[in-house]
Amino acid sequence: MVQKKETGVRGKRRPRRRRSKIVLPAGPLKLDRFQEEAIAALLEGYTVLVAAPTGTGKTLIAEKLLEHILAAGKGAVYTSPIKALSNQKFRDFGQLFGPERVGLITGDLSINERAPLLVMTTEIFRNWCFANPEELEHTSHVIFDEMHYLDDPERGTAWEESIIFAPPHMKILGLSATVPNIQEISSWMAEVRGEVVKVIEERCRAVPLEISWIAPGGDVLDEEEAREEIAERQEIRRWRRHRWNEMTAAGWEELDY
Amino acid sequence: MAAIFSSPTCVEVIEAIQDHLPALYFAFSRGRTELLAEELGREWDFLTSGEKRTVRRMIQEAEENNPGLFGPRRQNLRRLLLQGIGYHHAGLSPLLKDLVERLYESRLVYVLFCTETFAVGVNFPAASTVFDACRKWDGQEFRPLLNREFFQMAGRAGRRGYDEVGRVFVRIDERFPEQTGFYREDEVEPVRGRLTISPNTVLSLLHWKTDAEIRRLLEKNLSVYQSNKESRQLRREVQKLEEKAAELARCFCPDRGRDCCELYRVKLRKELNQLKKSKHRNRSDIRQRRQEVQLLLQKARKKCRYKICLEASRKIRRLEERVHLLHKRLKQLDKHSRDYVREFENVWSLLEKLGYVQGRELLPRGKFALYVHVQEILVTELVFSGIILESPPVEAAAILAGVDYQPGRDEQVIPPPFSLERVEELRRFLLGSGVPEHFCVWSPLPAALAAAWYQGATFDQLLGMTNLQEGDIFSILRREIDLLRQIERAAGEDRALALLARELRRRLDRDEVAVVGV
Repeated sequence: MVQKKETGVRGKRRPRRRRSKIVLPAGPLKLDRFQEEAIAALLEGYTVLVAAPTGTGKTLIAEKLLEHILAAGKGAVYTSPIKALSNQKFRDFGQLFGPERVGLITGDLSINERAPLLVMTTEIFRNWCFANPEELEHTSHVIFDEMHYLDDPERGTAWEESIIFAPPHMKILGLSATVPNIQEISSWMAEVRGEVVKVIEERCRAVPLEISWIAPGGDVLDEEEAREEIAERQEIRRWRRHRWNEMTAAGWEELDY
Repeated sequence: MAAIFSSPTCVEVIEAIQDHLPALYFAFSRGRTELLAEELGREWDFLTSGEKRTVRRMIQEAEENNPGLFGPRRQNLRRLLLQGIGYHHAGLSPLLKDLVERLYESRLVYVLFCTETFAVGVNFPAASTVFDACRKWDGQEFRPLLNREFFQMAGRAGRRGYDEVGRVFVRIDERFPEQTGFYREDEVEPVRGRLTISPNTVLSLLHWKTDAEIRRLLEKNLSVYQSNKESRQLRREVQKLEEKAAELARCFCPDRGRDCCELYRVKLRKELNQLKKSKHRNRSDIRQRRQEVQLLLQKARKKCRYKICLEASRKIRRLEERVHLLHKRLKQLDKHSRDYVREFENVWSLLEKLGYVQGRELLPRGKFALYVHVQEILVTELVFSGIILESPPVEAAAILAGVDYQPGRDEQVIPPPFSLERVEELRRFLLGSGVPEHFCVWSPLPAALAAAWYQGATFDQLLGMTNLQEGDIFSILRREIDLLRQIERAAGEDRALALLARELRRRLDRDEVAVVGV
């Protein structure tokens, strides 16, 4: 990248453009250990829960599993809590596996609903588990993306009813953000479904986070400095309030004749 | 309005972090994302002329496919995008959201002011994330962000293969320094069970599941499992303590508790001491007891290694005290755990009372509600009372738009040109018959919008009738389309109703409200 000096629109400010670092090829070239473990467990036929931070490549596990399922001539269901995410997966899977093999079913839309790989909202899957489980006879797996939605006060119930009533021949792949009690959830699933559940945890972020604070005026502070800054500001405010109270009290006295 | 200039302003923030762009700047109201974007746009322009050309081209392409994409309301967004600044929230139309997302993915948006929804679902990573504040309105109150919410958003920082670290910046607002958040990833909240027993759940269970399966849901769901887990641990401990006590008791001989047993004699001596010290020691019955005890103690003691027994019985007493405490805690747990069996039975008897079921048998109303997944009692009653079929179709469209709608503060829509009194009356009747408020949520607010859209109005005309935003109107109508599909399926043999539902759907599912781009 060559840096060019440019003047902005009507003299607006422009950012410093740093030389961009050498960019690694996008997308992992080889699987991380946790991805390999998860895929191995799935291919052995286990129900698997994967808890990992966003952006660590949980999707890749789902894609590898779907490849195997479709190659074996079986069906799979992929559920997500967000319509935008469902739509995106529908497009992505269409490109990966061929549009004729992928369908999309949400409450207000259904496309290619006889396809072997169906993307749907979790609520729709829950309804199928009740009303037409026979539709799921040739479906070997259900993938719950964002499975920590179990904890959503309004919608969590759909995940729970799905896990309890998904036909017994189906295996589950649950993809969740990092939650502290993933082991507890897996032992509950094992009990309620009567099967072994493997847990794969990845605590490491692909890119570590660094949190800073920005003080009034724009200084960037670390945690200790931020706490000091906040304490000082509260002190100043207390003092101001105190002075204000004194002044107004004095004022009232003057007026009080 | 002055609030947006509270230091650090977004201009100060961006200046401090300009080496870490693109940034997602999270704010907790739609209006605020727009105000901040405007403020930054007054001072900054991020794009080179080459990038501007690309943005202009992408915007033009989008506008060719969808004339009036930006409409009169969003001209500011168009201008800001050409400076590499954007905003993104649920009030935007899906097409506009899609355009902003595509520009962002093409690295042509350097600062995107967005709400929490941008961090849920599709992953749009950034070099840094900024928190305008650490409090949000959750529908009931302003509260601090949970750890899970904070890291869901913060975690968008750090692009794999580009950034060595993902940078997260939290504003210290000069007006509310005490509201600044400090979050730790190892303190993320655990997931808890959230099973709720809706009328549809009860009908589905009665209709499709066996008694054993119903029991499984009610007795083995996650919250029961979680509260049982503690009580299981307690019971295990009780069992261990009782086994220990039994083990200790093995040293006692058959003579235990007889006159010759030292354990008994220790007790007697204690009693004697107490009797001697008692202030009633001269009362006749006490004197008599003292003599009895003295006589007993004069008898011969069994020759044995009684110290073992003394030690054991002391330990057993201690164990029994512990067990007693554990039992008390168990009782407490039982009292506080959610009683799903009772909840199930309450909804079941309500459904019996309203004529949806007779025992496990579903009646016509019940069979209808089986296929309705939103406000199923209210929707079923709207149909079975005749309101939906007897009203003109335009009014039916208006009524159904209000199902499950909870108006936010100061939302306004012009009133519809017809009365919705029948619906209000029906709701009053249902509430009077013991149907809880949350089983018949309905609002007249969206009525005029759905009516106008049904009659062929343009989307701009709709926007002129209300202060709701494009995204809100879109989701009201999409939700109604969803409900109409449910009604069509539920209608079964009722041809007239199925036809009406399909016709309403056909008229609503058009133009800006039709989903494109899947």
